[in-house]
Amino acid sequence: MTTQAELWSRINMAWAVIARRRNDVGPPPPREAPPAPRGDEPSISLPGFTEEVLPWLDAVYRFALRLTKGDASTAEDLVQDTMLRAARFWSQYTRGTNAKAWLFTICRRVYLQDVRRPRHWRERSENALDLDVEELAGLAQVPQDRDPEQEFFHHLLDDEVLQAIDALPDEFREVLILSDLGDLRYDEIAHLLEIPKGTVKSRLSRARRQMQESLWDYAVAAGYVSAPADQETPCE
Amino acid sequence: MRMIPCQDVLARLWDYLDGELTPREANDVRRHLELCSKCYPHFDFQRAHAQFMRGLRERQAAPDALRRAVFAVLAEREP
Repeated sequence: MTTQAELWSRINMAWAVIARRRNDVGPPPPREAPPAPRGDEPSISLPGFTEEVLPWLDAVYRFALRLTKGDASTAEDLVQDTMLRAARFWSQYTRGTNAKAWLFTICRRVYLQDVRRPRHWRERSENALDLDVEELAGLAQVPQDRDPEQEFFHHLLDDEVLQAIDALPDEFREVLILSDLGDLRYDEIAHLLEIPKGTVKSRLSRARRQMQESLWDYAVAAGYVSAPADQETPCE
Repeated sequence: MRMIPCQDVLARLWDYLDGELTPREANDVRRHLELCSKCYPHFDFQRAHAQFMRGLRERQAAPDALRRAVFAVLAEREP
């Protein structure tokens, strides 16, 4: 029989967990701010170009590198072409709006027009990768004395994650790199890709699930983590 | 006050982590996660994923040679 002291002890422990979680489940960090200039940027006669465009060089490079699936040489050409076109069309940009999204738009157009061979990839059925919503729930189901989330991601190397991104179908890879590497909002991605916001969400969700599944399979195969013995179902 | 159901929370986890929910929706999800021990591991896993990607973003910079090349081609086109 539970004594009153034990009962109070349990209640206090429960409150401690809730209090700890309250600090832990807070809002996400703010969006990526424009990086500060490094000081090596040249002074360009286009007003505002140096301040608004050049700080995003790293972001454009990351975007180009994933568009080209890690082909650094092609990505570098793509970045140069993007920056040149940005300079050429600078008068069309409204200063103080969203230079990063504007640069990504140019970069993607250059990639689609000049780099990637035309393919009918938009005809692919998204349903071909219609994974079960609960499949990934199993990834989090593990014994309580382990910290699988950190364990899983701490074992992974950047290259393994980048390979998982590169293996995604183009339409999923595109939204994933714009969101997770480009740090664009859903409506910015929708505008850039000229697709509905709901489609962005859907593709992003599927891209992340597919990526997590392939990384999980990799981590299990490599012995980094153990596959869960069974799965719990969510409450309610 | 009634908590929103788990399936609604699980469906909105990425929206929550991406900062795409309204303040009221985010508050509903947050309150649920504070109390639900079954949804919390899902959140913890997705958050670890998001943190890894954020770190990846910060670790990848354009090579210095590319910076110099870009600056050179921009300077060349100057009138």
